[in-house]
Amino acid sequence: MYNNWMRRQRLLGYVFIGPSMLGVLVFFLIPAVYSFGLMFTNYKFMSPNVDFVGMDNIVRMLHDDLFYLSLRNTVIFLLAVPVSIALGFVVAVILNQKIYLKKLLRGLYFMPYITSGVAVAFVWMLLFQPKQGPINGFLRSVGIEHPPGWLSTTTSSMYAIDIIWVWFLLGYNMIIYLAALQEVSSELLEAAKIDGARPTQILRKIIWPLVSPTTFLLLITGLIMTIKTFGIIQATTQGGPGNSTTILSLYVYQNAFRYYEMGYAATISWALFAIILLITLLQWLGQKRWVHY
Amino acid sequence: MELKRSLTSGAAGRLLVTVIMLALAIVMVIPFLWMISTSLKTPAEVFKYPIEWIPSHPTWAHHHKVWTGPKSFGTYYLNSLKISIIGMLGATFLSAFAAYGFARIEFKGRNALFMIYLSMMMVPPQVLFVPKFIMFEWAGIYNTHLALILPGLFTIFGVFMLRQFFLSIPHEISESAFLDGAGHFRIFFRLVLPLAKPALATLAIIDFSWQWNDYENALVFLIDEKLYTVPLGLQNFILENTVDYNGMMAAASAGILPMIAVFVIGQRFIIQGLTNSAVKG
Repeated sequence: MYNNWMRRQRLLGYVFIGPSMLGVLVFFLIPAVYSFGLMFTNYKFMSPNVDFVGMDNIVRMLHDDLFYLSLRNTVIFLLAVPVSIALGFVVAVILNQKIYLKKLLRGLYFMPYITSGVAVAFVWMLLFQPKQGPINGFLRSVGIEHPPGWLSTTTSSMYAIDIIWVWFLLGYNMIIYLAALQEVSSELLEAAKIDGARPTQILRKIIWPLVSPTTFLLLITGLIMTIKTFGIIQATTQGGPGNSTTILSLYVYQNAFRYYEMGYAATISWALFAIILLITLLQWLGQKRWVHY
Repeated sequence: MELKRSLTSGAAGRLLVTVIMLALAIVMVIPFLWMISTSLKTPAEVFKYPIEWIPSHPTWAHHHKVWTGPKSFGTYYLNSLKISIIGMLGATFLSAFAAYGFARIEFKGRNALFMIYLSMMMVPPQVLFVPKFIMFEWAGIYNTHLALILPGLFTIFGVFMLRQFFLSIPHEISESAFLDGAGHFRIFFRLVLPLAKPALATLAIIDFSWQWNDYENALVFLIDEKLYTVPLGLQNFILENTVDYNGMMAAASAGILPMIAVFVIGQRFIIQGLTNSAVKG
């Protein structure tokens, strides 16, 4: 009787999860395994000769200057994450005060995040236009004679992308912080105030530690999400000028669908996975040290 | 949480902080304001400095160009709507189904399966591009809308989010239904789904915005111009009109406005969903 019931439960479990599991199997799990296999082949699109090449792709990657450049550019791209977290925190703390138009303000700061996409990339391209663009127009009008070339020079392009990315992420970080700030107990803050703590002390010694789990979560998810992105760069600079904005995720795309080096692309994509795995592991290991629950 | 006396003491302080924050918020949305303004300008006025926020000779010609002619945005919109709506409905329903299984039915292997789901969230889409490309070619759905619709029916994030919500529904509710002779299907459709309406709406809106904004998958899996979605059509339009800055901005407006509309309507759901999944997930 009981066994029968258990069997029925199990069957029903599979019935409920089944459709979704099929999708995960076909569109995630099998492709992932497939891709892992491709890493050890020289598969090129349209070419009939597919050979097992062992570690060749990995060796090639480790000697590929462009791989290291993409890695470096990826790291610069990731700088946008902590910056947008810091700004998001400041905006959230202020919007959490008694001020007017809260809802409107929250909506305005959040707007870039929802309109993600190619459209904003093109708007920024024109705003950043080095000779005539409005940003440099403004900089010249305040007395900066040689404003940066933004997306047009190899030294500034990655940082220009960072600015777009900070702008994009800020609203999301702010929203999550606002939710976290609601949880901070007002009694605790009252007590601190009665004890004579200054606002900056309250902010640094009480609020910041209390929202540290949120900070940590935003950092991890922000890094992982950013590392997977390349649309914004593909739309604005296609990785240029030179290869100054080629980040790893874009380098995978280029190898696969521009040069049709699909085996090699698979290899780099697993390097990307390794970085994400590393970030996730650091999360598990480090959590207890710097997060105060 | 208020630092009343310190920052915003009295109406004057409140007003001052509001004004400062509003000024910064306007800086945040300047790209959108500039985009709309430029789309209504004449070519000669585009890069005039100081910026003419309100064009002296406003014209709708650029918007007209985007919406008519051989490569009208109408086609891109229909394609995007089709893919996003089917994807949104399918993903929401299938996620709810699976989330119920993970949250409310106890069976062997459940936790292991859930770990597989978890781990798949770590796999970057770039790992999957090449195999999916090969699989879609082989199945004959490469360069068709099915290449976007079918994977779009499944969202691991959705399963997570709804599982979280279903776990929070008290067990007494389903237990009394069990005693009345109801099975899992009846409990799912009659009890849990109606209770989960806000969570389902949240997932639907967030998923819709992802599908609508998805550029990377469309870039990899579509070639035919008449199949293009809005992000891809926008890119195409701009690559062909690189010197027509007004046209570029008119096209960009067309790409962004639907999402702004969705945001204005569903702001509450979007914000709730994102905060719930981040803070509790």
